Amino acid sequence: MAGKGAGKGLVAVEEYYQNYGSRARGLKRQGMRIVGYLCAFVPLEMLTAAGLMPFRIKGDVNEPITKADAEMETIVCPLVRSCFDVSLKGKYEFLDGIVIPHACDSMCRTYDIWKYTLNLPYSHLINMPHGTDEPSLNFYKAELNTFRRSLSRFAGGEISDQSLTQAISVYNENRAKVREVYELRKTNPPLISGTEVAKLLIAAVSIPVEEAAELIDSVIEEVKQRDRVLAAKPARLMVVGGQVDNIAFIDLIENSGAWVVADDLCPGAREFFSDVAVTPDPIDGIAERYLRGIYCSRTFRERRGSYQEYLEQRFGHIGRFVKDFEVDGVVLYIYKYCDPYGFDVPAMKSYIESAGVPVLYLEDEYLMSTIGRLRTRIQAFLELLGSK
Amino acid sequence: MTEEKKAEERKKRRTATEAAAKIGPMVKAMIASVLQARDEGKPIAYTFICCCYDEIIRAMDIVPAWTENYAGICGAKRDAQRFLERAGSENFSRSLCTYALCGLGFDIWHEELGQMPPDAPWGGQARPDVMLGSGQILCDPRSKWYQAAQHYMPDVPVYNVGLPWPPYENDYDYREVQDYYVKYIVEELRGLVTFLERHTGKKMDWDRLSELVDLTDRTWNLIWETYELRRAVPSPMGTGDAMNTMVPIVFMMATQQAYDFFKELNEELRRKIANKEGEIPDEKYRLIWGGGLPAWFALTDFNYFNSKGAVFPVETTYRMVEAVYNFDIDLSKISDPLEHIAWRWLKFWTYWYDKARKRPGSHPDVERLIQYIEDYKIDGIVMHEAFSCRTWHVGLVWQLNRLKKIYRDMPSLILESDIVDISSYNEADTRARIDAFIDTLEAVKSRGR
Repeated sequence: MAGKGAGKGLVAVEEYYQNYGSRARGLKRQGMRIVGYLCAFVPLEMLTAAGLMPFRIKGDVNEPITKADAEMETIVCPLVRSCFDVSLKGKYEFLDGIVIPHACDSMCRTYDIWKYTLNLPYSHLINMPHGTDEPSLNFYKAELNTFRRSLSRFAGGEISDQSLTQAISVYNENRAKVREVYELRKTNPPLISGTEVAKLLIAAVSIPVEEAAELIDSVIEEVKQRDRVLAAKPARLMVVGGQVDNIAFIDLIENSGAWVVADDLCPGAREFFSDVAVTPDPIDGIAERYLRGIYCSRTFRERRGSYQEYLEQRFGHIGRFVKDFEVDGVVLYIYKYCDPYGFDVPAMKSYIESAGVPVLYLEDEYLMSTIGRLRTRIQAFLELLGSK
Repeated sequence: MTEEKKAEERKKRRTATEAAAKIGPMVKAMIASVLQARDEGKPIAYTFICCCYDEIIRAMDIVPAWTENYAGICGAKRDAQRFLERAGSENFSRSLCTYALCGLGFDIWHEELGQMPPDAPWGGQARPDVMLGSGQILCDPRSKWYQAAQHYMPDVPVYNVGLPWPPYENDYDYREVQDYYVKYIVEELRGLVTFLERHTGKKMDWDRLSELVDLTDRTWNLIWETYELRRAVPSPMGTGDAMNTMVPIVFMMATQQAYDFFKELNEELRRKIANKEGEIPDEKYRLIWGGGLPAWFALTDFNYFNSKGAVFPVETTYRMVEAVYNFDIDLSKISDPLEHIAWRWLKFWTYWYDKARKRPGSHPDVERLIQYIEDYKIDGIVMHEAFSCRTWHVGLVWQLNRLKKIYRDMPSLILESDIVDISSYNEADTRARIDAFIDTLEAVKSRGR
């Protein structure tokens, strides 16, 4: 990878987090082509194999949404609106293209708005099915091959099986390193805070994958060696939700008397806990992982067995996190206008509560101005946990 | 308690056509027939509009209970709030699709009581034996609503039909990918037949399915031809009526009743045109309803437009058909009925792609607006943004902007409220905005004189 990044450890993480996009901007100046994407459902292996740098578009909770409203309805998920707003305001002026998956209505129904308004040289919608049955998987493989051909045309060269397989290995190694970071959260108190992890993962999706791997390694090393051990706090929480691409909410919890020790978020465990299997046709492994291996409410899992087994099928990963990370309480942190997660709240809540773990459901609007209200709810929840 | 409130009595909207006036009783009879089917032990399926399975369920004698329709009825009768609140009490966000929230609230209450909620509109909605969702690039609630409903009715199985269509892209033509789209849809529909046979005990009658597929093709053609008659000046039928005549299109497709209804409407419109009888006596402004589902509780707004001399000869909403003989393939040559259905689906959604390709900067949705504006001699555009539905209400602002950029600027109005949730609606404000819009139309007309 040409040029140098921000360095090592948590200092570098801070730099990437505070100046989000700075590395991509630098690489662009050196001739690298940067493709922005939304959501965990874009197969980054494909972009990397094409010689392009994937860059996760994030919003900004501190920036009021203004320009976006001239093109995009306010009934769209506030995260997507914010991402679009800051893009329109030139925050990601270095982008050469954009890839949006059919993750949810707020993404796919706004695809044309992104495409025509930003008018970037490249754009593509990956038409992921909702279902996970065999016909859906086969259809998705065909869609991935369409994406592969489209991307090859833009990149100016074929994406070979070999380059894809190599990219798969690199991303799997990267995911393994993130899982290693999560191991540091299992102790009580954790060795690394939820805020530090959130910053690290947000930083990691803004830089090339090889540099992200180095960065994560350096953070693991630093955390293991640091003298200061985090203070004990009375509660260990898990946060479940969609894309949380800023530290505000995690920071709020950790400043209210609890550690966030686990999550089912993006960027977060959702996109780092399953690998792509290395298969003779690399598309097979990619399709399997992105369609069936990522546990997001947008995916419709066909029911097998009793309803209780179905809940396990859909939310069992949350249950495993609760157990493995000794979680005392779970916060469902869902954005307004989020159809996939919004419809899952009662089922998800009852599944977690049936294991004896209290749940706090919060609906938010992706704005710093709501923090005061959220703080009150979090404090009340922590009091409830303390009284148990 | 709001729950206990009786529905507010509401003056009915005046229809322009006799056919549209018949829709109310038809819907009432449809709801009653589902309840009767329940009593007779016939299998009932919760169903969504626009999901490709009309012919399949009819050929298998499965009775559809159209859940969006029932929520719309609750909305139109201004009796949805108590169901929305029920759903809210279960932690479903009020920002979600209010059709779904109304339906979920109804089901939650129904399951709690073990009988219909008190004073359920038109006798209530029958408990289903199966629920048929779908996965599209159209609408998340179609894959989430019934999954969520299963939390309260865990014994009712759900099937989710994958129904994608190719996106409109710059760097490839949809024909490059259409074969694998059709293959997938056919497999999903075949899976649906297997699912229905397993869970309802009904067997597919393939000959009957082929007949119904043919009937549906003929009905599509007839609807298209009938709606094209509305190009006449003065226009014999408006969008207000089309919000009634959508019933046979989306809730009765693949039935002789739907075909006969449009035959009658076609004849009525021809009579009106011959007599130069318009929707209103003095037609001043011709508008397009350019997107968005209507506020079902405020359909009299269409009469208000009429009172200002405005008519709606055309709309994009619920015009879910094209003439199949205008497709670039001959559907009659496809012998497998499921394949036939899949191709019809794909060709419907890609119908405007080629035309859009010819105009720099255009897009199929915008191209469709342009075509209608020209064909129906349109003076202005009205849209409705329903806050709870991202499916049909995202992209409207952008479409207007694009229209202005690649075609021409014209008066436009975006109304804001919801499909079901009346708390989002302010009649005085809505009508003030309509008045201002009419003033703009008049000013533009005056400049052109």
